[in-house]
Amino acid sequence: MESILGTILFAAGILFVLAIIMALILGWANIAFHVETDPKVDALNEALPGANCGGCGYVGCNEYAVAVAEGKAELTLCGPGGASCVQEIAGIMGQEVKETWPFKAVVHCAAKRDQRLKQQPYEGEKTCAAANLVPGVQGCTYGCLGYGDCFNVCDYGAIDMVEGLAIINPEKCTGCKACVSACPRGIITMVPFKTTEVMVVACSNKDKGPLVKDVCSIGCIGCSACAKPSDGLLTMVDNIPVMDYDKFGKDSDLSKSIEKCPRESLVYIGEPEKKEELKGAPERIEADFETTIDKTDWWG
Amino acid sequence: MDSIISMVLIFIGAALINNFVLHYFVGICPFFGVSRKVDMAFGMGCAVTFVISIASTLSWILTYFFLRPEAAFINNVFHALGGPADIMIDLSVLSYIAYIFVIASSVQFVEMYVKKFFPALHQSFGIFLPLITTNCAILFACLEIMKNLQNPEKLWGFHEALALALGGGIGFTIAIVIMGGLREELELCEVPKALKGPGIALIVAGILAMAFMGFTGVDRGVADAISMIRN
Repeated sequence: MESILGTILFAAGILFVLAIIMALILGWANIAFHVETDPKVDALNEALPGANCGGCGYVGCNEYAVAVAEGKAELTLCGPGGASCVQEIAGIMGQEVKETWPFKAVVHCAAKRDQRLKQQPYEGEKTCAAANLVPGVQGCTYGCLGYGDCFNVCDYGAIDMVEGLAIINPEKCTGCKACVSACPRGIITMVPFKTTEVMVVACSNKDKGPLVKDVCSIGCIGCSACAKPSDGLLTMVDNIPVMDYDKFGKDSDLSKSIEKCPRESLVYIGEPEKKEELKGAPERIEADFETTIDKTDWWG
Repeated sequence: MDSIISMVLIFIGAALINNFVLHYFVGICPFFGVSRKVDMAFGMGCAVTFVISIASTLSWILTYFFLRPEAAFINNVFHALGGPADIMIDLSVLSYIAYIFVIASSVQFVEMYVKKFFPALHQSFGIFLPLITTNCAILFACLEIMKNLQNPEKLWGFHEALALALGGGIGFTIAIVIMGGLREELELCEVPKALKGPGIALIVAGILAMAFMGFTGVDRGVADAISMIRN
């Protein structure tokens, strides 16, 4: 009996000694291999949403945090974090920021499949990138192709393909810019949503009126009727009106421009804003953690 | 010379014939989790090879001197501390906990070391390095070494343990890099919706495992070749 107890104690002792040796080695290593990290970086990591979307242009949230802490990056680059995140970052860095707005993607084309004319049968690979290489796949060489490259690349389910047209839901859009680079025709751009509703020129066709009428039943014919009553917000560049989003705000009145437009090229995107909600910073957009953080299907 | 033959055979056996991943199905989680791209897979393979070597070295030392049945060193200590002379102590019950212990602390140590002296490498390893702690391929190598230190008549030497560790690590690297290449190609394939992601990866891994069965018998040929050279 005594010997069994002795053996157990001996085994426990061996384990204890092993534990102490390992603890000493690791404790020594912790001091010997200590790497100074900026406490600001840790705080910034806490403030950032951690979605690692890459929208800021850095590989992940951590890298952006390091760049901000070193003063190499702007404070306002985080799209998913929204305004409150920018405020937090500014607080950590001890800087004041001006009011910022979330940038969201919008499609500069409003023509659904039936409204885009002169479409040819296309039997190739069903992606916009491939279809864009085929001349004459549809009459309009500027507009949406409708094979959903942007839809496939969107991690947030913010894009719907409706009757062959990509429609972005600004409530779900986090501003990661994935669709902007996916679109082979470059008709998706980022627009500051100063209010929840923003006016967008929904056409990208730079051709003259008759040519546009040939290929699209709703596209902009470049008549510049909208530019005059717009108070300088809309200027004609290459036969399409271009919105000056620096000037565009919640008080801008573009109802006359919309009235004057003989086509359907000016559209409002987003929910009409209620009057009471006009004050204060825009809402924070929460990143959808279920779909964004970890693209690996499973870890062991 | 015999020890060199056994080293070569153990190495080839661990790397190709009884590949840890494709024959024993250990270390499956990093095999699927980190095999999306070839360069990431290669990084993971190198990290595993590195840690497996360290952990095997430590566990061989532990097992040989402390944890195997009839280990002379620990029995001498036991008797010197006043244990009954007729009892031979056998601490192999402690082997699992001791190995987990050794693996976890060596991974921690390696991570600190790499972070301090190779920051770029640390950045590219990212999350993989701590993940190796839970990689069962490493525990498997330790247990394999323990298995071969049970019979006092036929003990593995340190060189044989090291050959197993290196072979296992390199075999893991080969398997995960092949898998990474296959999965890069798979991205371009039209996979039925139900099989997308995990499903097709498991099927591919199964076919890959079958392909590795073709290595069976290579060890015999290598042994013959070495003995022919010797004569």
